[in-house]
Order: sequence, then structure tokens, then C-alpha cells
Amino acid sequence: MISIRNLVKRYDDQLALKQLNLSVEKGIIFGLLGPNGAGKTTLISILNGLTNFQEGEIEILGLPLRKNLKAIRRRSTFIPQSLALYDHLSVIENLRFFAGIQSISGETLRKNIDYAISVNRLQPLTEKKASTLSGGQKRRLNIAIGLLNNPDILYFDEPTVGIDPESRGEILETIRSFKHDNKTVIYTSHYMEEIEKICDEAAILNAGEIVRQGSLTSLLQNNNDHSAVIECIHPNREQLSKIADGHDGTELFNSNKLMVLRPNSKKMAALLADLEAKDIQLKQIRYDSINLESLFISLTSRENPDA
Amino acid sequence: MLKAMLIKEFILIMRDKHALAALFIMPSIFILIMSMALKDTFGNDHALLNYTIIDRNQTVQSEQVNTLLRVNTLFQKHDLVIKDQTELQKALNGDVHFVISIPSDFTENLGKKQLDTALLHIDVAADVKPEMVSLVKAALAGIIRQQRLQKIQNDLKIFLPDIAQKLDGFSFEAQDVLDIHYNGMKAEQVPSSTQQSVPSWIVFGMFFIIIPMSTIFINERTQNTLLRMHAMNISIPALFTGKIVPYMVINQIQVWLMIGVGIFIVPLLGAEALTLGNSIAGLVMVSTGLSLAAIGTSILIAVSVNTVEQATTIGGISNILFGAIGGIMVPKFFMPQVMQTLTNISPMSWGLEGFLDIFLRGLGAQAVIKESLALAGFGVGLLMIAWLIFSYRTKRGI
Repeated sequence: MISIRNLVKRYDDQLALKQLNLSVEKGIIFGLLGPNGAGKTTLISILNGLTNFQEGEIEILGLPLRKNLKAIRRRSTFIPQSLALYDHLSVIENLRFFAGIQSISGETLRKNIDYAISVNRLQPLTEKKASTLSGGQKRRLNIAIGLLNNPDILYFDEPTVGIDPESRGEILETIRSFKHDNKTVIYTSHYMEEIEKICDEAAILNAGEIVRQGSLTSLLQNNNDHSAVIECIHPNREQLSKIADGHDGTELFNSNKLMVLRPNSKKMAALLADLEAKDIQLKQIRYDSINLESLFISLTSRENPDA
Repeated sequence: MLKAMLIKEFILIMRDKHALAALFIMPSIFILIMSMALKDTFGNDHALLNYTIIDRNQTVQSEQVNTLLRVNTLFQKHDLVIKDQTELQKALNGDVHFVISIPSDFTENLGKKQLDTALLHIDVAADVKPEMVSLVKAALAGIIRQQRLQKIQNDLKIFLPDIAQKLDGFSFEAQDVLDIHYNGMKAEQVPSSTQQSVPSWIVFGMFFIIIPMSTIFINERTQNTLLRMHAMNISIPALFTGKIVPYMVINQIQVWLMIGVGIFIVPLLGAEALTLGNSIAGLVMVSTGLSLAAIGTSILIAVSVNTVEQATTIGGISNILFGAIGGIMVPKFFMPQVMQTLTNISPMSWGLEGFLDIFLRGLGAQAVIKESLALAGFGVGLLMIAWLIFSYRTKRGI
């Protein structure tokens, strides 16, 4: 469905994507993970023909991207993170406008609008102005607009940012339903639990490279069995970073947390002694089996301490 | 596709009260206010300046100055008694624009070949423009010339009565000695203030689209609606066309609304009605050219700046600058030569010349081809630059 080989993207002297290789099968939900600046948005922009690239080959729906951009775009959709809709238009006016500019008309127009409305449960809201909708309802309208061309591939760029848990649940449910329609979804998010909940496969992108890719089961199986997270109270970040550097398998994240892979009593005792020596107060120590979040942190936090 | 974009753009404008006010109400009110405000400046039946006379001569000749000046409709006499400098200052700080002092030796000096002191002394209020003072100077110099000639005639009567008799009945009145014909108008037809000023304000009003147009465009860009449209196979030319067409229609509505105000509303408030001229086609040509220039400016600003605030500031300032340079705010003929040459760089000046050809000079469509093409070329040029900038920014994601 999507095949990327040796993709290189440069912004002036900066290498945004380095010889990237990726393959996504038809009908799956594929999670794209990575800290800020990892290259996720650049990759999504390239796949939608919004940004050009210098080297490599991309095939989507069996067609080379460069030569078949228009045809590919007709069968795919990009749902941006921001609410790319018109506040002064009603729900139905928004849908009619975005369908109209794609030259969708007649019976197809009616059918596709009905589909977009029903999938996103917007039936009671069609005459309401977008500006009067709640955050979650706007997000659903944002997704509905993306369904107007009945796409085979849907690109979601963090679609649940800034909404309440209930709306988030509804949106995830909607996205999961696309799988039953045999649609392929590329899903980027910062929320690991979302990826774990809806994705079949995922890739972790860091500094323009894919550092791990595969099914969620295989990603977690390939890793160690558990981890420990030590949360500190108002620590000096530099001090904490130095301590992390001095201990194998220990990463600093979120400025105040240390993650220890394969923690054992010797490792933990040495680490806690260092923390005590620096008079760093602890809030809690949590032991957990390895999950996507700890894997993500272990793979990306060296370069991105804020991940 | 274009139909969807047109419908969307019209709905957005119709539901935006501020845009509606900026596009239709403000230009109409503007036309009304400016026509009324300039009614007396361009008309010739209302006084422009108030004056008073201090007559220390008290002779037939000094009374004659008074009488001849009263005939001039540009000036309105205020009967004040001014005894000293304080009262003079007070008068000039009030409603009086100039005070004519006629010295006691006025009659005596009137016949002198060499003058030691001026025949009349004029005190002028500080806020009176030099060109207005020139009007006063010309009027008084004319009166003095007439009086001095009369003096010579009276002297001649003693020595050469035959020649003196020949000078009897010489007319000094402007309407007798001058035949004034306004270009493109019938004999004795005089252009009204409405006819002279409304074209400028129509041009100015058409550029009011800069702010609402660029604001909507920037909102679309920052909310990624344009990006989404781009991902839906909407090319930049198609996107621009979707903006150009509705705003050209809006500009035409503006023009006819402002003309309507000039024809129907302005006369209700006492000024003369606007007349259309001889060429509707010419009018449409110039306004279409102006429309493209205004739309090109709007889109260029919208794609070049980052925020609505920047667009509002730059859009507003460029509108005023175009107007100031283009002879909208100060008529071109009032400007020094350098500035008159400089007006040629402003598209508003080209549009104004085109409109004046139609409204004032009675010319047809052929006369405005040059201005219309220049305006259209200017607009298309800016749109091309905007295309390059927008395309660069879209690819770079900035």
C-alpha cells in the first residue's frame, strides 16, 4: 500500500529524513511515533505531496508518488492536527464546500456526505455553525471532511490533541472502525496508550531515522521484561542528567523522571545513593512491565531529553 | 470547484459583520462625508474665507474696496469693530481668516507712481493655506488695479478729456472679460464638487478590500485550511482564482453602491448629484483594472505576512500611502512638480485618472484603455509574485 525506500529530505543544510525505509500494508492502522522534530510531520507532508524530497522512492497504492500525485491524492486524505475548517460555515456547509472543491457531485456527493456524517455521529449537528461546536465535535467534523472522497488511505496528524477523554475515546473508536472498511490509516500521536489501543503496527522515528518498526507485539517482545521509573521533586535537571549518564540503562525524561531498564537491586541502590548524595527528593518509584512508552523513551530520550 | 469557492467566500463575507462594514458601509459613508466636506471647496457659490476691514481712510475709494470685495463670492465679510492689536488677534483666532487694513493715506497713495508703503495691509490667520492667500492677493490686486486706472482716468479728464472718455465703461468683471470652458462639458456648465471628489473616494474605497481579504486568507493559512485544500489537489492558481472572482464581484458592488450614494443620497444633503458620464463600459474597464490591482495587493500582503495583525497594519498603511501618493487625499494639481511625477507610481493615481476621464472629462472607453491595462498589469504582476512567495512558503511549511 505504502512503500518508502531510501527517502532523504533536507532543509538547507539540515537533514530531516535520513535514508528512511518504511512499508505499510493495506487495511492496517499504522502508528508513527517520535519526539518533536523527529520528522513525523515532514514524512506525512511528503506522503501528501505537500513537501518535496531530494532522494528516494515512494510508491502509494502501487503508483510512484512523483508521477501520480493527483491520482494518489484522490484516493487518500490528510487530516491535519489543526481544525482546518471554516468557523463561520455550518457543518453541512463545510462538508459541501470541501466536497465541491474536489468536484464531488450528484449521488456520490450525497452518499459521501451521509457516510462522513454517520461515521462521525454528526447527524444532530448538521445545521449548527462550526464555531458553536465543542472541541470534540469540531475534531469529528475535521475528520468528516477528510472522508468526503471516500479515501483508501487516511493520514492523521495527532487528531486528539487538546480534547476531553470522552471525545478522545469516540474519535479513537471512529478511527478503529476504518479498519473494517479495509482503509489504511497512518496515525501520528504523542499518546502511547492511543497507539497501543488502536494500531496494528508502529514505527518509532527519531532524528529523521526509523529506529524500530513492526507489529506492536513484536516491538514489545524484542525488549526487556520490565522497567522502573523514578520521579523526583523539583530536581536540578543538569544534575539529574549527569546521574543518568553515569548509570547504564538509565534515561532522563520529562525533566524530572529517570527510567531504568532491567532494574535490579544493585543498579537501583547505586542510583538511589547518587540521588541522595545530591539531595534530590523522590516523589515515587514505579515498577512496570515494558510498554510502548518505556520503549519509546529508551529509544529516543538520549537525543531528546524532553520526550 | 470554482462554484464551491465562490459560495464559500460570499457566505464568509456575509456572515462577517466587520467585513461587511469595511466593504460596503464604510466606503458609502466615506463618499457621503467627503462630498459634503468638500462641497464648498470645489463649489463656486459658497464663501471659502471670512474677512473684515479696518477702514482708516473713510473715503469713496476705501468704500469702493469694500464694495468690490463684497461682489466676490469666495469671500464673506464679517462686520467687526477692531480697535487694537488684541482685538485683531482675537478676530484672527476666531472665525475671521484675514483682516484688511486700509491706511488713512490710501486715497493719497493710490495715484502715486512710486510707493513708500503698501497700499493695503493684510493680516492672515495662521491656519489659512498659502493657496487661499493667493486668492485674496489676486482679488485685492485686481481691485487696486481697477482703482488706480480710475485715478489715471480722472487725471486724464483734466488734460485729455477725449481720451479719458474712451476709458468710460471699461468692464473689469471676470464674467465679462473671461470666457471659461471646462473640458468635456457644455458651455457654462461647471463641474460640481461631487463630480470632482467622488471618483477619488471610489478609488480609495475599492482598496478597502485589502484588510478583510487578507484577514480571511491568513486565517485560512494559519488554520491549515489552505494546506488541506492543497492536499485535495487544489492548485495555487485555482486557489487564487477562487479569491479573485468573488472579490471582483464585491468591488463592482462597491463601485455601484458608491455611485448610487453620489447620485441619490448626496443631493438629499444639499450637494449636487453625481452624474455618470458617457461611458458605462469605460467605467467597468477602469473599475475592473482597479479591482485586480487591489486584489493583487491584498493577496501579496496576505501571503507575505504571518499574522492578521501584521496584515491589518500593512494593509491599512499601504492603502493610505497609495492614496496620499496617488492624489486621492491631496489633488494632484496642488502638489509640487516632483510629487506630481511621483503620483505616477501609485495605481490609485491611474485609476483616478481613468475615472476622471469618464466622470469629469466626458470621455469614452477608448480613453481609459491605457489606465485599465496598466492597473490590470499591476494586479497580475503582484499576483505572480504572491504565487511565487506562497508556493515557496507552502513547500517550506512556513
